[in-house]
This record gives sequence, structure tokens and C-alpha cells, in this order.
Amino acid sequence: MKKMMLNVLGALSMGVLSSCMVDVADDMDVYPPDAYIATATPVYFEGRAAYWYGDRWYYRDGGHWRNYHSEPAYLHSYRARAVPVRGVVARPAMGRAYYGRAHGGGYRRR
Amino acid sequence: MRLSIGLISVIGTMVGLQSLATAAPKAAPPDDQATAELKEHHRHHHHGGVTQFIAMSLDTLGEDEAKRPQVEKVQDQLHACMAAAREGEKKVHLAIADGVEVGNVDTAKVETAIAQLGVASASIHDCSANALNELHAILSPAERGALVHKVQAHWAVWRHVNHEATVGGKEPGGRLAELTRELDLTSDQVEKISTALKATHAANPLQFEPTKGHAHVQGFATAFASETFDAKSINENANAHLAIHGAKRMAHFYQTVTPLLTPPQRHTLAEHLREHASHEPMSPAK
Repeated sequence: MKKMMLNVLGALSMGVLSSCMVDVADDMDVYPPDAYIATATPVYFEGRAAYWYGDRWYYRDGGHWRNYHSEPAYLHSYRARAVPVRGVVARPAMGRAYYGRAHGGGYRRR
Repeated sequence: MRLSIGLISVIGTMVGLQSLATAAPKAAPPDDQATAELKEHHRHHHHGGVTQFIAMSLDTLGEDEAKRPQVEKVQDQLHACMAAAREGEKKVHLAIADGVEVGNVDTAKVETAIAQLGVASASIHDCSANALNELHAILSPAERGALVHKVQAHWAVWRHVNHEATVGGKEPGGRLAELTRELDLTSDQVEKISTALKATHAANPLQFEPTKGHAHVQGFATAFASETFDAKSINENANAHLAIHGAKRMAHFYQTVTPLLTPPQRHTLAEHLREHASHEPMSPAK
């Protein structure tokens, strides 16, 4: 009886844990929002614009967002050497553009 | 038996954890600074319509370094085409700011300025055709695709803050929430402003057809993503429609909130509007 209960527990635990892990790994409810795409600079890789968002790279495939589950070496190396720029700089390397009053509307500075 | 109870308890806890992990609602993250500033921009600047979205998208296209001077030249040409409309929008900003400062926005003056803005915005589409053709020739297919996605993203953000967002809504990151932060509004003021905005909107709802904007954006997207492109073949022109609607929604907002602000709050808000009026594109070469 005790052995059977342990087996049941083991099976349930694996099921529960693997289910939790899948939710995290394949959750494509998470993708860069419009405001991010509008203001972030992409990196071009394999003929596509890739955006670093959260902790991974995303790209558009037709009408869908997809991400690289393991970071391609090129993008990893790009990210390692790029320094995100804060401020009103047009075309910051992997940075964002800022358009508010605090940044003069985001137009390029003299 | 004690073991069985313990096992059931453990299983129950794990199942409970799983249901928490899968059923917990995903709260929208708060706007980061760049997002908040983009919304602020799109609430106040409408003069270029879809052409403005294209010009802004070039800021972060990340194109090949060697192409940058050419792309900046195109961007300058687009800004030149939008210059008259930008001047028109400046008059709208300043007319509203003057009214906010004294506590009474001159509706007729603002409406005249908005009508002039609409006329100037309508001409941007034709003016910018050659610049867009040059841009298509400069960019690679991947860069063109990225530009299209950025323009669509700007349109989505613009549409949300100027059309889909509930008038008088108090949601985080919304217009009223931002005004609360800017002017340190009291909770009583927030309630009164929310009620007044909803009443104004109910009595005088703004007419806006998002399908016109969508058709223009999609017309550009489909044509620009193709191997051959001629901007003159894009028949849709929603620039004036966007400029007029955005300016009217902005004017309605400030006309409604002004009587409910204190003089110091009105002064601060008027200064903010004058800052928006002063925004000018500048070439790095100048």
C-alpha cells in the first residue's frame, strides 16, 4: 500500500512539475507589446528583425511572434557588446527611443 | 494511515500550486518610461498621420550603419513635408495652452486652428511619395519588414490612446492617471474630471472611423513589403482624418478639465502644452 502511494505521488509530482515548466517555456502570450516594437531597435539575424524583450529574442514569422528558445550565438554576442543607450538618441544600439516632454519629443539633438 | 494523510496533503498542496500557476490572472505590467512617453507623444502629436508613424519608425529601425546618412536624409524630407501641418498643430497647442492658463479655452479659436491643421495634413501624402520611394530602394527586405511592423505598432498605440481608451477612464497609464501624476490632482478632482469627461463625451461624441486609418496603414504595409514599390499607388490617405480626430480629442480633454483645476495646476498644464508646441525635428547636420 505504502509503495503504491509513493508511486502515485511520484507520478502526480512529475505531471504537476512538468505542466508548470511547459507553461513557462511555451507561453507565447508573452511577446513584445506594440509600444515596445515602436520604440526599440531590432537586430537583424537570418533575414529577420529580432527584438530582445524580457530575457529572450523575439521575431515575427508571418503574423505570429516566435522566440528563440536557445539564444543564437550571433545574437548573444551582439547583446554582450551592445550597450543599451538611455536618452534622446535616435537609433540607439538595442536601446529605446523616448518621445516625451522630458526628451524634447524625442527629436534628434543638435 | 498517517503516511496516507501526509501524502494526500502533499498532493493537494502541489495541485493547489499548479492551479495558482495556471489560473492566476496576468496583470498588465506598468508602463515603462519609453512606453509612457510614446503614449504622451501620440496623445499630443497627430499632424503627420501615418507619415508621422513612418518618420518615427526610422528612429529605431536599426538599419545597416552604412545606410544611416541616406535614411536620415529621407527622414528629413518626411519632416519637411510635415512642416506646414506641424505649424498648424503648434497653433492648436498654443491656443489650448492660452485657454488653460486663463481658465477658459476659446473653442472657436481652437476649432479654426484644427481645421487649418487638417488642410495641411491632407497634403503630406503626395508630398512624401518620392521620399518613400527612395526609402524603399535604400532598405533591404528585412529592414522594410521591420519598418512595416513598426508603423503598424505606432498605429496600434495611437489608435488605443486616441480612440479605444475609455474617455474619463481611470486605468493606470491612461490619460487621467497621467494628468493626476503631472498635476498632483486630489481624489476629489479625479472623480469630478472623470465624470465631466464622460458627460462631455456622451453629449458630443467624436466621430472617428478607424477603418480609414487601418486602410492607409495596410495599404502602405502591403505595398512597402513588396519587391517593387511606388508610393503614388497607395490610394488611401487618412492623414487628415487622424490629425483632426487626434487634435479634437486632445482639445476636448483640456477644455473639459480646465475649469476643474486650480490656477497653479492650470499654469503647469499650460507650460506642458507649450513644451509640446515647441517640439521640432532637428537634423544632426545643422
